[in-house]
Amino acid sequence: MEDMIHVDRAMSTQQDIKISARKVQVYYGDTHAIKDVDVDIDDKTVTAFIGPSGCGKSTFLRCINRMNDTIDVARVEGDILIDNEDIYDAKVDPVQLRAKVGMVFQKPNPFPKSIYDNVAYGPKIHGLARNKAELDEIVERSLSKAALWDEVKDRLDAPGTGLSGGQQQRLCIARAIATAPEVLLMDEPCSALDPIATAQVEDLIDELRQSFSVVIVTHSMQQAARVSQKTAFFHLGNLVEYDATDKIFTNPQDPRTESYISGRIG
Amino acid sequence: MTDATSSAPAAAPSPAQHASLLSESPRMKKRNAAETRFKMYGVIAISIGLAFLVFLAYSILRNGIPAFTQTVVNVEFTLTQEQFDDAESKLLKTAAYTDIFVEGVTAQFQEKGLNVEFDGDTIERLLGKVGGDLRTFYRENPDQIGQPVQLQLPAASRVERYLQGRLTRDMVVDGRFLEVADLDVVDVMVDAGIIGSAFDWNFITGTDTGVDNPGGAGIGASVIGSFFMMLVVLLLSLPIGVAASIYLEEFAPKNKFTDLIEVNISNLAAVPSIVFGILGLAVFIQFAHLPQSAPLVGGLVLTLMTLPTIVISTRASLKSVPPSIRDAALGVGASKMQAVFHHVLPLAMPGILTGTIIGLAQALGETAPLLLIGMVGYVAREYPDGLTSGLLDPNSAMPAQIYTWAARSDEAFFEKAWGGIIILLIFLLTMNIIAIILRRRFERRW
Repeated sequence: MEDMIHVDRAMSTQQDIKISARKVQVYYGDTHAIKDVDVDIDDKTVTAFIGPSGCGKSTFLRCINRMNDTIDVARVEGDILIDNEDIYDAKVDPVQLRAKVGMVFQKPNPFPKSIYDNVAYGPKIHGLARNKAELDEIVERSLSKAALWDEVKDRLDAPGTGLSGGQQQRLCIARAIATAPEVLLMDEPCSALDPIATAQVEDLIDELRQSFSVVIVTHSMQQAARVSQKTAFFHLGNLVEYDATDKIFTNPQDPRTESYISGRIG
Repeated sequence: MTDATSSAPAAAPSPAQHASLLSESPRMKKRNAAETRFKMYGVIAISIGLAFLVFLAYSILRNGIPAFTQTVVNVEFTLTQEQFDDAESKLLKTAAYTDIFVEGVTAQFQEKGLNVEFDGDTIERLLGKVGGDLRTFYRENPDQIGQPVQLQLPAASRVERYLQGRLTRDMVVDGRFLEVADLDVVDVMVDAGIIGSAFDWNFITGTDTGVDNPGGAGIGASVIGSFFMMLVVLLLSLPIGVAASIYLEEFAPKNKFTDLIEVNISNLAAVPSIVFGILGLAVFIQFAHLPQSAPLVGGLVLTLMTLPTIVISTRASLKSVPPSIRDAALGVGASKMQAVFHHVLPLAMPGILTGTIIGLAQALGETAPLLLIGMVGYVAREYPDGLTSGLLDPNSAMPAQIYTWAARSDEAFFEKAWGGIIILLIFLLTMNIIAIILRRRFERRW
């Protein structure tokens, strides 16, 4: 396990808490998918959610930007605070929340529009650009941040769906960061990508940490070890263990965590 | 190959465990035979279908093509100034022209050595009101007096059928329309070589006639009637249908009530169209007092009938848009409506358009509801003279016109009915082609 953690990420001493979840329960109809999850996610940090399939890590992730609202049978209880504001408060409009909490999905899902329009869509609907020049600048900045600008700058009018899988995922990341979110949620962003594209996206995640709080769900423990500073291990809807990444991988407290990272369950 | 087969037994000492790949196992043979049989069934089914289609197309064309042509009598005729002045001075002017025409034609026959006696009544039975037509022509073109003029006179439908061999002398009973002696004149005309055929534009552009004049009947007015009905159907059912589908599919809460609506929409699509007809009669004509036989009422009834088709196809195409697109839009903070209108609807457009055009095509060919609101049987003798008149004045529609013709006792109308079917099929084909083109065009926008 040691060799996986090739970067020793020093935790900065004073971390601000960005997201704070208390006693979160999620039900899908009669299924109790998330049980009593308490977690504090730091600002400007990459937090990884790991765990076997169906353990609820993606479900919990989707609670943070209320994407579960789109599923009719899903019901969320408990409190999730972002900057000390309850995002499930009746006064919160999920649409406004999602501008603040961006999301990148498991499968690259660019709009069937041009590369430019893909990135410009968010800023346009949120009115972030006053004119075309500003919009151009946002598009260029987002694509550069997503390490895609050099590859696509000559064909911004080409369809986003015509890019390769890795490029599409980076386009989706560019699209997510174009609306200047404060939190970026990533649901297994590399599961459909080859190792080279994965490495590019991982480098990107590390860079995004400068500006956002990044929460990433991943099936790959190596990936969690490579990119994250803190790791949460979910099992059967419970948050089993949550600690600094190197601690989870080298000295897990819970026997279930140990079994999982050593490959005995999951 | 020889190497492989010769070495196979050596390499496989126990055939039960190591069967050669080069020979089919009994089980494989069975499976392949089943597949071959299944393909055969498919080929047979398609062949039967094609045979029916070919037979249908053949009989429609065979029976319908004659409706587009018309038997004409070509006569070269010269009217002198004296004859003109003489005829104009008479009391019965058109009769005078007819007599002049009879004289002229008889003289032409005699030049060719053909002798036949006939009078103005015969000519009227064979060629219609020639005298009146001649008078109108010469009064409008006085410079043609004294010049030889080529006249092309449409023959009565009975003459046409006599020439086709479908009417024999002993079938002629009603002397009002045709006498047996008239057929002698026709025989002489054939000998003189003046009978030909011409394309009948009147069939396409003309209006319907009464039961006694099959030759002059045209489908034009009912095409206009159908056009106005389709206009009403399109303008009402497309926006209502698409809006209803978007609401039900994307916004409506999923509960017992919306389930009930959904089941009812599916059932409505299967309701016999005559039910919509009687509904239209009760609601639009008896309750709302809209005019009978009006394309507006027809369009409203057909809208009711088309709506379920459009709703179902629109919902299906909305459903087929991958949910990842909705997630993507919501994920960047689009509102539900923005997600639907910016991303889902454009992708669903080809399906919506196809469904709409198929619904329209279905409505175009629908006859049963029109029976009940009085469009079948209405003799569309006039063209509407504008939008309001087109919507509110009584008119017929293509399928209703075909039905009316097929129901008339005079056999000559059958051919008109077949011809009408050809026109209707051309319209349906055009609509389907438009559907395909639109689908291609929208799909190209990835």
